[in-house]
Amino acid sequence: MGGPPGESAVRQPSFRGEGGTLFGIHIVNVLFTLGTLGVYYFWAKTRTRRFLFSQTEFEGDRFAYHGTGQELFMGMLKALLVFGVPLLVLRVIREDLDVHTGIKIMAGILSSVVGVSFVPVAIVGARRYRLSRTSWRGIRFSFRGRMWPLLKIFISGTLLSLVTFGFYYPYFLVRRQTFLLSQSYFGNERFDFSGNGRDLMEPFVLAVLLTPFTLGFYWFWWAASKRRYFWGHTRFGAASFRSTVTGGALLGLYALNALILLCTLGLAWPWVKVRNIDFAYRYLTLVGPLDLERIQQQAQFPSTMGEGLAGFFDTGFDLA
Amino acid sequence: MRQGLEVTPAGGRTRLWPYAEVRQTQGSYVGEEVRLERGGRMPEILVVEDLRFLQSLHELAPEFSRRFHNPARRGRRLRLTILAAAGVITLSAAIYLWVIPFLAARVAMQVPVAWEEQLGKSIVTYLAPPAKRCADPKLVAAIDTIVGRLTASAPGSPYTFRVYIVDVPVFNAFAAPGGTVVVFRGLLERTDSPEQLAGVLAHELQHVVQRHSTRAIVQHTSSGLLIAALTGDVTGPLAYGLEAARVLGQLRYSRDAEEEADTEGLKMLLAARVDPAGMIAFFKALDKKSDKESDALKYLSTHPSDRDRMAALTALAAKHPLQPVKLLPEEDWSELRNTCGAAGPAR
Repeated sequence: MGGPPGESAVRQPSFRGEGGTLFGIHIVNVLFTLGTLGVYYFWAKTRTRRFLFSQTEFEGDRFAYHGTGQELFMGMLKALLVFGVPLLVLRVIREDLDVHTGIKIMAGILSSVVGVSFVPVAIVGARRYRLSRTSWRGIRFSFRGRMWPLLKIFISGTLLSLVTFGFYYPYFLVRRQTFLLSQSYFGNERFDFSGNGRDLMEPFVLAVLLTPFTLGFYWFWWAASKRRYFWGHTRFGAASFRSTVTGGALLGLYALNALILLCTLGLAWPWVKVRNIDFAYRYLTLVGPLDLERIQQQAQFPSTMGEGLAGFFDTGFDLA
Repeated sequence: MRQGLEVTPAGGRTRLWPYAEVRQTQGSYVGEEVRLERGGRMPEILVVEDLRFLQSLHELAPEFSRRFHNPARRGRRLRLTILAAAGVITLSAAIYLWVIPFLAARVAMQVPVAWEEQLGKSIVTYLAPPAKRCADPKLVAAIDTIVGRLTASAPGSPYTFRVYIVDVPVFNAFAAPGGTVVVFRGLLERTDSPEQLAGVLAHELQHVVQRHSTRAIVQHTSSGLLIAALTGDVTGPLAYGLEAARVLGQLRYSRDAEEEADTEGLKMLLAARVDPAGMIAFFKALDKKSDKESDALKYLSTHPSDRDRMAALTALAAKHPLQPVKLLPEEDWSELRNTCGAAGPAR
């Protein structure tokens, strides 16, 4: 509304890469990973990511990934130190040593606490690392959220969901999304998320009621609603995102993926990955004025521990 | 004059980018523009759309050509991919067949006996509860004699060997990690001589000594990692297929373990001067029972077929002729083997 016609421009990301190229990268990755009995895994992951990012184009320019295999490797070591060793020690106390039962119970509780805090730490760490190693037109992204607020969101989300028999869940999703997005930056400009849990309540209740009746298929429509809602309430400056994905399209994507993978015994995995990325971009647009002149570099370089953990659960290149 | 690129932005002054300081970060793949960077963490970036730029670079600055991708060599990529695929297949097979068993055996040997005993304790308590163990003193003494003779040939073992007979009419026996062997009454009553029981015990004791259960745990984890490395992160229906592959793979390892238990068990009998004919006769009887087992089932089985086992053991025994010393010569075995059910379980 208002402003010259150029300001209501619709922009879309696109993926230029091909499944065949990714397969070539993957097979060499596998060869070296096997040959080094797994050590190469971190460098393999970096190679794949670098390819996927640099084949993503927006407004005529490609993204770039600046991470290194060494950083991922060090991150994994740190994760082992901070989580692995305490968990192991607590386990030994609980099961193998001959100590007072009270101490064993304490060790058990501590283990659960350490285990539960793993997820928000992994999420925040991974996001912070990945965004800080991503750039477009030379400007780096960044994530400035901290782990403690997310941990609180997770804990309160779990407790409240239990108490409300699950009805709190949409509110939890929105709170999580708000945290993840509104602390994400491109240069010095922040992303913004303005959703409300109440808006997701209706699709969620519908999903809970209909999914058992439709043998689980309705889940695709719920996933599409959620994606449309999340993107639709995400803004960057004066522009806002829009997703037009539908449940039917999602179902079609997954069904064909499953067929392809089954017929090729999983070997066509790189083509499936490219299909998924193509699909994600096809339904995603950015509408409105994009004042890139204002944006300045404000790169942040955090530690890479969280990435090592989330490496085990692949959360993917995904701003949502 | 240093060799490099002269970069002149519109309305700006010319600067020199020495080749030695320039990195190419994009432009190796079809459709990608050439992206050159110079500097540290926040580099200066130059994007060139025309791929022929790379060719020119190679012509003009051949000493630096290693820093830049050569588009003329893209044809090699297909051949390299095929080679890599062949390499992957070979390497995976080698790892599955040799590396994993080798590593698993070594790692299993390092596991402390106390950990194995801990693991075995819960299994034994569940499957052989004290209330169901046969406590007839004559039987217990006889079993102890047999076990004593068998283990005398392996004096330095860190294990405390225990054998329990369980009053359950099942035809089975197993070894728990840590040194405990459980024999069910159903199997005991089918043995015709103490030498036959000794054969079964020797086999099971070798499972303990060779640490097969611990090895299996390591193998299971390693094969999971191997499959993960090959297929990338896979979820959904394909994951089940992979799990089936993993289980089949594990069956091969368990057949290897059984063969090892057979062979080493026979050697244990020979070292204890127990007549191996008993062990062989026992398997012959087993083989007669399962006559209709086909070769296809062999691959689905955790044990090699009884016929194969008998053949292997006969061959091994023939190589080491022996003057055996009879086990329990004063006892009537056909009476002794039935004392479990008759006397009833422990009080």
